Amino acid sequence: MTNIWYIVGFMVAGVSFVFLTIGAAWLISHRNRGDVHKGLPYESGIDTYGDTHGRFGLSFYIYALLFVAFDIEVIFIYLWAIIFRAAGVDIGSLFVSMLVFVGILLLGLAYAWRKGVLTWR
Amino acid sequence: MTAMTRTWGRMTLAGKVLFTVVPILLVLTLGLIVLVVVAGKPIVDFLAANLWLVRFVVAATAVLLVSVPFAFLIMYMEMKIIALMNLRIGPDRVGPYGSLLSVVHGLKVLMKEDFSPTGADRLVFTLAPIAVFMATIMGMLVLPFAPGLFGADMEIGLLYFFGVTGLSVVGLLMAGWSSFNKYSLLGGLRSAAQVISYEIPLTLSVVGLLLLAGTMSLNTIVLNQAGWFTDWYVFQQPLGALIFFIAATAEANRTPFDLTEADSEIVAGFATEYSGMRFGFFFFAEYVNVFVVSGLIVTLFFGGWNAPFAWPEAWAVHLTIDPGSLGIGLLFALLIVPPVLILALAAPFFLLRSSMPWWQALIIGFVLFNLLIGAAVTGLAYVSWPWVAGLAWFLMKSYAFVFLFVWMRGTLPRVRIDQLMGFAWKWLLPAALLNLFVTAAALVVVHPK
Repeated sequence: MTNIWYIVGFMVAGVSFVFLTIGAAWLISHRNRGDVHKGLPYESGIDTYGDTHGRFGLSFYIYALLFVAFDIEVIFIYLWAIIFRAAGVDIGSLFVSMLVFVGILLLGLAYAWRKGVLTWR
Repeated sequence: MTAMTRTWGRMTLAGKVLFTVVPILLVLTLGLIVLVVVAGKPIVDFLAANLWLVRFVVAATAVLLVSVPFAFLIMYMEMKIIALMNLRIGPDRVGPYGSLLSVVHGLKVLMKEDFSPTGADRLVFTLAPIAVFMATIMGMLVLPFAPGLFGADMEIGLLYFFGVTGLSVVGLLMAGWSSFNKYSLLGGLRSAAQVISYEIPLTLSVVGLLLLAGTMSLNTIVLNQAGWFTDWYVFQQPLGALIFFIAATAEANRTPFDLTEADSEIVAGFATEYSGMRFGFFFFAEYVNVFVVSGLIVTLFFGGWNAPFAWPEAWAVHLTIDPGSLGIGLLFALLIVPPVLILALAAPFFLLRSSMPWWQALIIGFVLFNLLIGAAVTGLAYVSWPWVAGLAWFLMKSYAFVFLFVWMRGTLPRVRIDQLMGFAWKWLLPAALLNLFVTAAALVVVHPK
């Protein structure tokens, strides 16, 4: 139980470290408002053309779906790997069950591959 | 009010630092004294009863503070080594061989104006570097530096590491979105695509190792690799180590996979609009990330803090030095041995080089004497404390991998984004799964139950 408080406490310590540093930098750095051009986004020295948060070609949202599928799978595979050599487990059936499990996911990957999703356009 | 701001504006930098730091330190010291005087006994009793709290505070402080010199060293390595590879001289002004230039860079970034552009989403813009930095530094918590020298030893250490470092993509997306800049947006989205794609081969490549180790605790994984260097997991998992290295390079956004900040394409990617310390934290996080990734490769595949050799126990040096046994002789030894040694070391130079004046020979003797003493103390520490030896090996191996990352940056060109994504899904993922099943099949054959 100590471990979860380790993580939370370390997170608090780290965030306060960052805030302290940024705060110290804010205190010792100079600041001025500047004119209207200072706040413009830097786009190679040309004035911004069009809307930044406008329509945007997201050609990888299928990757994100595949990522979710495989990342969930990874958790199961990790637990499977941990008990693989544990005593009292039938190692052969473990192996076959994981083969089936990954095989189903690979079918999905093969389908995506065949559909040309894995090629960046 | 205006008079105060005007005075503040006229002050020099040193004055500002003193003006802020000295009162804070005074208040803290006074508070500490009052606290100890008023409630000293209960506090000490409480800490003695909860030693894990003391350990936590020490570990958290050490991990946070030690990341700074690590990052500075990597920055210097990157500047100097790439310069030497490009047949340039590189940094040579600040400190010996320019080695303090990265410190000066850090101070410069600290003093720069921290500006957020007009269209930016202020809150997200500020939180993004914190998210990126935290994702990196929290991975360092579970790295075993040496026997007994680690932030936390968790049962799920490896899973925790991947879970936490994977969160850096959130920070990169936050930075890209909140900057209100098309380059930043492109960089953020690219980094999202890249990091989530390489997360899969990265996590799958270590499953073969988990099959062999049977645990996710990084400490136990290191202990499993004790012995000669042939016991390291890299020799049982060569394919896994290779996939892990490639995927880790992409996760750390290093060349040849530094698409997220491809300076010739999208200026600086997600960091385009950042300046000052918030920009500094992105780069601090990047360099810490390089170290953390190298440390993890060493921990998993290259024996962690184990030395590459394991001499038989009979050869071990057991030094028990008790200075008290010399009694009054100790005083004489301390007074007499150094001058005699210095003179003995200086004599050959004075006698053999007739042109050398006596004081130069003495200086050489003094320097040699100090080197000798330093080597003796280092050797003594190495054989006496296992954590010194472990830390030395761990840092040496980790910085060998940092050097490899720098070397790659000096030599390899950047890949295209379609090559990058295709490589992860069409080559690394099947290879990682192949590695998994070959390892499992080998285990079934070797250890059938």
